[in-house]
Amino acid sequence: MRFIVTSNALLKNLQQISGVISSNTVLSVLEDFLFELSGTTLTLTATDLETMMRVQMEVSDAEGSGRICIPSKILTEYLKNLPEQPINFNINENDLSIEMSSDIGKYRITGERADDFPKEPAPSDTSAFTMPSISLLESINKTLFAVSSDTLRPAMTGVYFEMEPNSITFVSTDAHRLVQFRRNDVNCPAKDGFVVPKKPLQQLRATLPPDASSLQLAYNSSHLFVTGEKFSLSCRLIDARFPDYKAVIPSENPYNLTINRADFISALRRVSIFANKTTNQVVLDINGNAVQISAQDIDFSYEGKEMLSCQYNGEDMKIAFNAKLMIELINNLEGTEVLLELSTPTRAGIFKPVDTVENEQLLTLLMPLMVGV
Amino acid sequence: MEQEPDIKQRKIIHIDMDAFYASVEQRDNADLRGKPIVVGGSPEGRGGVVATASYEARKFGIRSAMPSKRALQLCPHVLFVRPRFAAYKEVSQCIREIFSRYTDLIEPLSLDEAYLDVSEDKQNIGSAIEIARRIKQAIKDELNLTASAGVSINKFVAKIASDLNKPDGLTFISPAQIEQFMEELPVEKFFGVGQVTAAKMKNMGLHTGADLKRLTEQELTHRFGKVGGFYYKIVRGIDNRQVQPHRETKSMGAEDTFPYDLTTIDEMSAELQKIAGNLANSLLRHQLKGRTITLKVKYSDFKQITRSLSFASPVADHETLFDTAVDLLVKSDITDKKVRLLGISMSNFGEHKPVVMKGNSVQLELFP
Repeated sequence: MRFIVTSNALLKNLQQISGVISSNTVLSVLEDFLFELSGTTLTLTATDLETMMRVQMEVSDAEGSGRICIPSKILTEYLKNLPEQPINFNINENDLSIEMSSDIGKYRITGERADDFPKEPAPSDTSAFTMPSISLLESINKTLFAVSSDTLRPAMTGVYFEMEPNSITFVSTDAHRLVQFRRNDVNCPAKDGFVVPKKPLQQLRATLPPDASSLQLAYNSSHLFVTGEKFSLSCRLIDARFPDYKAVIPSENPYNLTINRADFISALRRVSIFANKTTNQVVLDINGNAVQISAQDIDFSYEGKEMLSCQYNGEDMKIAFNAKLMIELINNLEGTEVLLELSTPTRAGIFKPVDTVENEQLLTLLMPLMVGV
Repeated sequence: MEQEPDIKQRKIIHIDMDAFYASVEQRDNADLRGKPIVVGGSPEGRGGVVATASYEARKFGIRSAMPSKRALQLCPHVLFVRPRFAAYKEVSQCIREIFSRYTDLIEPLSLDEAYLDVSEDKQNIGSAIEIARRIKQAIKDELNLTASAGVSINKFVAKIASDLNKPDGLTFISPAQIEQFMEELPVEKFFGVGQVTAAKMKNMGLHTGADLKRLTEQELTHRFGKVGGFYYKIVRGIDNRQVQPHRETKSMGAEDTFPYDLTTIDEMSAELQKIAGNLANSLLRHQLKGRTITLKVKYSDFKQITRSLSFASPVADHETLFDTAVDLLVKSDITDKKVRLLGISMSNFGEHKPVVMKGNSVQLELFP
């Protein structure tokens, strides 16, 4: 088979899927892109056995059709170093030779047999629903950072997709914090749930266009299949039950503290520089309508303190959090002000944006640090 | 030598589930049956290790605690399955329930292995072989899994016996057979004999139990330290360790003695990488996380040091174990030292409600 494609267009498409390829794999075919030519459509596929992703692009002067695996490293390396220009691919499926010629020169590499490339899992017994690309993108952005890396608790190493007939909720937790992001503008087929691993979500985050184009999400008991206009991704689901997260969301945290988000983050960033590096502990000392943020590292005699004004309706309280986790959490909220709902210094604090967005509901939890006295 | 008179002859069963995690996966998923599968870490990245390999996978030379990458090299079409510990725990509880029909003296060693003392069984069956047979049958009928059993008069012999006819085996070593059995046993099968000790023994011309038996207790203690006394007894079929229900794991460790002394930090960290992997694997198998990591270093002059570090919250992963061990090693000033043994151990388990010292703080958990 042969075809002509411009170097930049091919590189751009390959870079969309190259993240799937694992850096140290043992099967050499997993280091390859699968090229499939049919008519003038070229389909490119990458996989690490857990996740498989494909994109399609149009090529010109196509002759014949066929499939071959091309080593990813050398191909992308070559494309990156080539000034934009058309490349003529001439592929012989029998001896697996791949010849790439451009105005500058001629290059030859050897591929691998397409039949050795892993097959995509069959999308059998699936249920499906659609949602706009930008909605899924935002949901991933809002939740992925709080995913656990603790392999002892596999369910928590992914984002939980919890479906209801008129909504979908994305939940992630690392046992210290939890993010729950609900969208009320998605119609799901049934009350159901599954846990998607981190890697395919990172891949989707890098690929999904931030527009309203429609995505199809189909799933069965073992896999998720996401199909967009120009790409498709399938991945194995995490085979573990997500913890009963609703049980840990406090139903009533009576004390509300409202504070300017940007000021709060800046103060936390400065004060936490002086905190103990292992705990990152900062103490919020809430007193009337002011909160004192303080941190210290006894070992080095470091200390930092700042005072911020806020609105607060509860009893005076001293509560400690890990500043790093808290900054990430508040960064993830939007709007000018943030609302903290508290109850006691050893119970989870709820962090919410004050301004709400239509059809979206974001709730995050952070467990405090218990301070020895 | 005869049994010590104050100990009544006991009836001990050692039950070991066959390729436990892998068998549960194959039982629950028809697609995996008859295929080489590995339950454990994925072969990507570092640290993935085989927790259990199915018997089909073992034919390719795949073994527990082997890096998953190596498993994939040995058998490129091996299927990797993520462990579902909740499921194994559940099955393990069912197995213990079956044991408890016959005795309350159960000492679980892990989810898939236990000692039972059936000297006096609840149903007055009287025969330990019959009890072992019934337990195996119940495991097969009720759980659709197979186990291997070893029956004898002490823990050591029972454990070795269960390993003789795997899978689905039942091996009885009668008191009369024990001496001959122990004499024929290769030294590496002895409890606590690792590769290095085995090599050392072979150098001294000690290949089987019979060779060990020729040495006096003094000679054994002199050559192998404290454990020599244990070998002396065990080779005569004496093992008075009781079956202890509710044994709590206080610490868990992995260590290695090297055939030659290590002198560079690179060599040592390469070994620590392996040791950390083994320990992470055992911790994973036992579902344990600890807060204290201890590094043990023995120098060529047999001087030994330990250094430890405690964490605010429990850890168990390979990376933390390795990084901490290397940190501790670097801090312990190893310049110009020859190192013959390195070990990492984990302790301080299961403290869900940690005691918080003044000036310290602990991150609270959402899902304790």
